[in-house]
Amino acid sequence: MEIQIQEYKRVAVLAITGRIDSATSAEFEAALQDIMGKAKRNLILDMAQVEFLSSSGLRVLVTTLKSLRKGGGELCIAQPSQRARDAIEIAGLDVLFKFYDDREAAIASF
Amino acid sequence: MFSLSLTVPAQLEMIESICDAVDSAAAAAGFDERARYSCQLAASEACENIVKHGYGERTSGEIEARLSASPNDLTIELIDSARPFNPANPPSTQPWSVDDPPVGGLGLLIIHRVMDEVEYERSQGQNRLLMRKHTG
Repeated sequence: MEIQIQEYKRVAVLAITGRIDSATSAEFEAALQDIMGKAKRNLILDMAQVEFLSSSGLRVLVTTLKSLRKGGGELCIAQPSQRARDAIEIAGLDVLFKFYDDREAAIASF
Repeated sequence: MFSLSLTVPAQLEMIESICDAVDSAAAAAGFDERARYSCQLAASEACENIVKHGYGERTSGEIEARLSASPNDLTIELIDSARPFNPANPPSTQPWSVDDPPVGGLGLLIIHRVMDEVEYERSQGQNRLLMRKHTG
């Protein structure tokens, strides 16, 4: 798994490539906590290149969302791959997140 | 009839190799890409349970995967020697609100939503989990 981070004034975009699973979710969570520690209340996850998303990764998404919303922030998902979207939908979590078809639309929402 | 078996160390890093084998077996069953991926997800969740809840701190265990496929039908059998853990029990279906979404139980939920049959048996010190999916 690789994570590329682009910071903007009101939001940070994390582009994830590869597998978010039980072997990589701790690294994923650490990256999210690191960026949240930089006072970023709003995050966009660009999941276009996510090849696999297991419950370990979904748990990180949910805990991050809860944490951000508690502080008045938001977590959005931009251009999810079919596989990322399928995992979120199978787990019934699609009602939780705001999805955007492209990264620019997600950034513009903040 | 397609069959494949492999045994891997019970480590999180090894689950991907079982997923790859499941993908091959699901392809042999003629499943489309999304069905193949869903089977990989179910196998991944079951293996994660074995590593985390079954073997726990033990690092010497193994997981054996026996896969068989016939047209529109895939069977995934996972065998381990960890402590008893029964994923065939259906997950909680209690309603939740978007203000308080669940963070636990997602793995079992995925297994039961993806697979058509989930059976568990404990015998001779081994857990045996059988998961089947049919399409078409």
